[in-house]
Amino acid sequence: MFEKSLYDLIRGLRNHKGGEREYIQESIRECRKEIRGSDMDLKATALLKLTYLEMFGHDMSWASFHVLEVISSQKFAQKRVGYLAAVQSFRQDTEVLMLAENQLKKDLTSPSLTTISLPLIAVPHVINPSMANSLLSDILPRLTHSSPLIRKKTIVTLYRLALVYPETLRPAWPRIKERLQDENENPSVTAAVVNVICELGWRRPQDFLPLAPRLFDLLVQGGNNWMAIKIIKLFATLTPLEPRLVKKLLPPLTNIIKTTPAMSLLYECIHGIIQGGILASIEGTVEGDEIAKLCVGKLRSMLVIEGDPNLKYVSLLAFESIVSSHPQLVSLHQDVILECIDDPDISIRTRALDLVVGLVSPDNLVSIIARLMRQLRNAPIESALADPENDRGYHGGVVPYADSDDSEAEESLRPAEIRSDQAPPLPEDYRINVIRRIIEMCARDTYANINDFDWYIDVLVQLVRVCPSVKGTTGAMEYTGGGHSLTSDDISYDIGRELRNVAVRVKSVRPEVTEAAQSLVLVDTRDKMFTVSGNGGQGVLEAAAWIVGEYANLATNPQAVMTSLLHPSTINLPNQTLATFIQAVPKVFAHLSGSDSISWTPERKTIVSLLVARVIHFLEPLAMHPDLEVQERAVEYLELMRLSSEAASAQETGDTHGDFADPPLLLTQAIPSLFMGMELNPVAPGAQKRVTPPDQLDLDAPINNSLQSLLRQAEYDSALGSDVEDEVSRAYYEKPSTRPEPVAAADRLEQPKSEYTSYQRSAEEEYLDPDIVARRKAERRERHKDDPFYIPAEGSGTSTPNVLRTNNGEEVDIDSIPIMDLDLSQAGQIRDRSPGPAPPKQKTRRNFEILTDENLGSEDVSSLESARPELVLPRSSAKGKKALLQLDSSGLGSLSLDEDGDHVSKLDIERREQEEAEMAKAIKEVERMRLEMQRANERIEAKHLPPEGTVVKRKKKKPKAKVEGNDTPTVDEGGEAIVVKKKKKAKKPVEGTDALVEGAADGEPDAKPKKKKKRRLISLDEPSGS
Amino acid sequence: MINAVLVFNNSGQPRLTKFYTQLETSVQQRLISEIFTLVANRPNSSCNFLPLPPLLANSSKSTTPGAQHNDTPSLVTYRHYATLYFIVISTSTESPLALLDFIQVFVEALDRLFENVCELDLIFNFETLHATLGEMIVGGVVVETGLDKVVEGVRSQGKVAKRPVNESKGGLTLSGFGRGEVPWAGR
Repeated sequence: MFEKSLYDLIRGLRNHKGGEREYIQESIRECRKEIRGSDMDLKATALLKLTYLEMFGHDMSWASFHVLEVISSQKFAQKRVGYLAAVQSFRQDTEVLMLAENQLKKDLTSPSLTTISLPLIAVPHVINPSMANSLLSDILPRLTHSSPLIRKKTIVTLYRLALVYPETLRPAWPRIKERLQDENENPSVTAAVVNVICELGWRRPQDFLPLAPRLFDLLVQGGNNWMAIKIIKLFATLTPLEPRLVKKLLPPLTNIIKTTPAMSLLYECIHGIIQGGILASIEGTVEGDEIAKLCVGKLRSMLVIEGDPNLKYVSLLAFESIVSSHPQLVSLHQDVILECIDDPDISIRTRALDLVVGLVSPDNLVSIIARLMRQLRNAPIESALADPENDRGYHGGVVPYADSDDSEAEESLRPAEIRSDQAPPLPEDYRINVIRRIIEMCARDTYANINDFDWYIDVLVQLVRVCPSVKGTTGAMEYTGGGHSLTSDDISYDIGRELRNVAVRVKSVRPEVTEAAQSLVLVDTRDKMFTVSGNGGQGVLEAAAWIVGEYANLATNPQAVMTSLLHPSTINLPNQTLATFIQAVPKVFAHLSGSDSISWTPERKTIVSLLVARVIHFLEPLAMHPDLEVQERAVEYLELMRLSSEAASAQETGDTHGDFADPPLLLTQAIPSLFMGMELNPVAPGAQKRVTPPDQLDLDAPINNSLQSLLRQAEYDSALGSDVEDEVSRAYYEKPSTRPEPVAAADRLEQPKSEYTSYQRSAEEEYLDPDIVARRKAERRERHKDDPFYIPAEGSGTSTPNVLRTNNGEEVDIDSIPIMDLDLSQAGQIRDRSPGPAPPKQKTRRNFEILTDENLGSEDVSSLESARPELVLPRSSAKGKKALLQLDSSGLGSLSLDEDGDHVSKLDIERREQEEAEMAKAIKEVERMRLEMQRANERIEAKHLPPEGTVVKRKKKKPKAKVEGNDTPTVDEGGEAIVVKKKKKAKKPVEGTDALVEGAADGEPDAKPKKKKKRRLISLDEPSGS
Repeated sequence: MINAVLVFNNSGQPRLTKFYTQLETSVQQRLISEIFTLVANRPNSSCNFLPLPPLLANSSKSTTPGAQHNDTPSLVTYRHYATLYFIVISTSTESPLALLDFIQVFVEALDRLFENVCELDLIFNFETLHATLGEMIVGGVVVETGLDKVVEGVRSQGKVAKRPVNESKGGLTLSGFGRGEVPWAGR
């Protein structure tokens, strides 16, 4: 009956080509009417139709109550429609769920197999913690249902209950384990248990170690490749915990690798060996070398196999996980891996790209980069059509238009394979990824792989041109303070940072970098430097502007640079870039006007005055800029320029032909000294933290004991406006006894701040007070001797980098490279200390001197690790957002499956069961104890008498040994559980762990039951004897 | 685990959507269309694994690597049969090659149930499509991969309806979908 109606709907859709939207609205209206009626058939049909439309994005959350009505139908077909609708349409906030509980319970206990299945399948989709708690008692018994169909589904449903409410796993786990241990269990059910354990396994692998023997048997028995794959995956998480497993696993895994016809199993074996750290743990042994060679060899043949891109893909995945631990093994297969970079399939390319990053060396860097650059250059920029944001469905719901009856017509909709000479367009994120990887490979270990920096600069400049354009940032960024986070996603900023890094670190190519930066900054050449389409690469301007400013003396055409910096289009740049441009302006200005060797002729005066006027003209509107950083810099330099203007006009000019006339000191001394005093060197990110505060500086001491009350006072004063009501208000507002300790005020002050100011104060004073700069220059130099972040320009004589370069030419004498001794152990005498030489840490590569980060003390590994990635890729920090589609299982991580300890909250079912179980347990225990006593007596007769105090312990332990050895698995579980619990209470923690370790050892799968029993007895006797 | 199973046709119209975590309808639709964009541009010679669609890539990037790693969907596997794409989104606890086999079993089961299945069968019997999937996956965990048992399970729920007589057309041509004869068959 209802099929016909859904059929009608679908047919109707086909007959309303072009008018689907109206037709659907009409149909939904009908459904609303039908679903409210009392006719169950009609209701169910309407619901089915709604579910169908939901698939296309049409909301049906309003019908959730009707879903429940249909679920409660007596007819299976209708019930099924109801459950389907619930699964498809219920969301986290669906409120009627509470009402569904009783119905679910009822269906779970139905005599009909198919009816039980419905709630079992639906529950994982709709479950919430409170429901999990109450449904548990109904679902748990289904684990022993006579039909394997029900049992296997129940296992998974229990797993999903545990995900939302981890405590439910405690009562469920022993029963699930029972299913696994039962050798007569239906293989489908066993496979389902293995699947669930594989999901649970990586969260709490230690809980699953005891299952290793059974899992091992299942693996060796073979027969089910699906299950074998899961078991191998599970073992990969267990081996790190139990190294002895490695030895055990190797023979069967090797066997599988050599014999299996199933490629998926072969692959997972190799993957498991890598993932489980098996390769690493047996490295060096003959076996280890053999297995490593076997794995890599198989992976290689997967890679070169013709016509199966899937194998290519997965073998690259496996290579990737192996490359960090065994780079030399992987690099043997470089030839085939490098081929994959140019694979037509973008998925394979991406994998290969990730892989080569681990393979790069000075020898192959250039060829790898060349391949990637070729890709970037030759592929056209992706068209806007392929942009996912233009896709239908992005802006609104998808309208299901009429289905075509004609298969040919559908066939033709498929895009023809692009097989022209032109490379297919590269997706944008791939493009960005390639650029990022190129930079990462080149910058690794402070350019350890780079032999030719001129080449690298060319690469970087080229990268700017192939940068993908950035969408919709310019408008949004202009007036928001949050512009920074937006722009830092742009890959061109990373390129810029790289350029700057090279400029700072590699002095010998600084002129070349400056030249490149200049060409990027110059307005005239910008067209050539950046991509024709879009605004890609603009982010590099920030770093380029910094470079031309900082190294203005190296720029070949400072006049043109100045013109470009002051160009009207500059104002349209993003705020951060604009601020950098403003900063670069006075630097270039200082270079242009600051010469003190040229006489102050009228001609020079005019030129300087004109330049100053241009700068002022540029800065004036920016003094009102909405961005604070831009505004502040503009205001400061504006004042400086006005002073310069005054100084320039006030200074008497000399005769054109006559004697030398002094130019104004402000121009020749003061302004240049603002920017050119010291060389800027790279500083390790961790260095600031290592600066130890001076001994005398007690950061915990209150600066002013009455600060709190002063602040409070100020607050009241401003709040009340007068102190007439002071007495009254104080009585009301001031908490007399709970006033915080005065010390707290000092605590709240940021500690690093005080250090910061102590180092930077001098510089700030100069910025604020430029008039006195010249007068204090000498003083400042003296002070800077103490500043760890500056290398003094004069003084010790050997340490000026320029001197070094001219003295040594391109061949650098390592020993003479200046290194500041930043040992601050005598921090107290920081002011009096003078810099001394320290042993050089850096290496030189050929004729390039690369500065490493300056740091304090010895470079320890941890600080390096944290420093390196930041150096190249300071990406936006991770957001704490949960991933889409992600099912959070973190709750399971904290749940212990051991049955020890007091449970804070008992589940309903646990409480009920506990009462019953306790009675049964007690009876069993008594019986066991009696048996045990009997045996113990026998043994005592045979052996020496143990010391008195340990008898109790032995009694407690022995039941475990006995039960595990002899009984059937079912009884075994119960017995073990009790004993573990008892034992935990009776024993000291140390002994407890000992016993656990022994237990794991005994769990080795090959041990025959009888043998096991014997061994166990021995191992348990040992502690009692000692 | 498996996070979602999707089936859509060559023009991106969904035929089956099953998400094993609750997701807003609009986000579902967006994800479908993103995946369709990715998959539709791939030539038949490409491998069956997709890069993560932007929606998933962004969210998985934001989580810290390591602890959360196995919870995040990291694998998008697809197969293309005649007019339909079958897509499985899963975490790293699933084996990529086994998932390909899984899709194959799913399609074979449908083929057995409908006798030479075609897209139209699935359109008009989307309940059966869901029931078949329900026999194979519960709550994102694979419970059955045996073809016979799946078919048996679906049939036990009632007679599988045939497509309307006048709608018949060529099937999904099980034998002919490209690399149908899986050399690494996991069964």
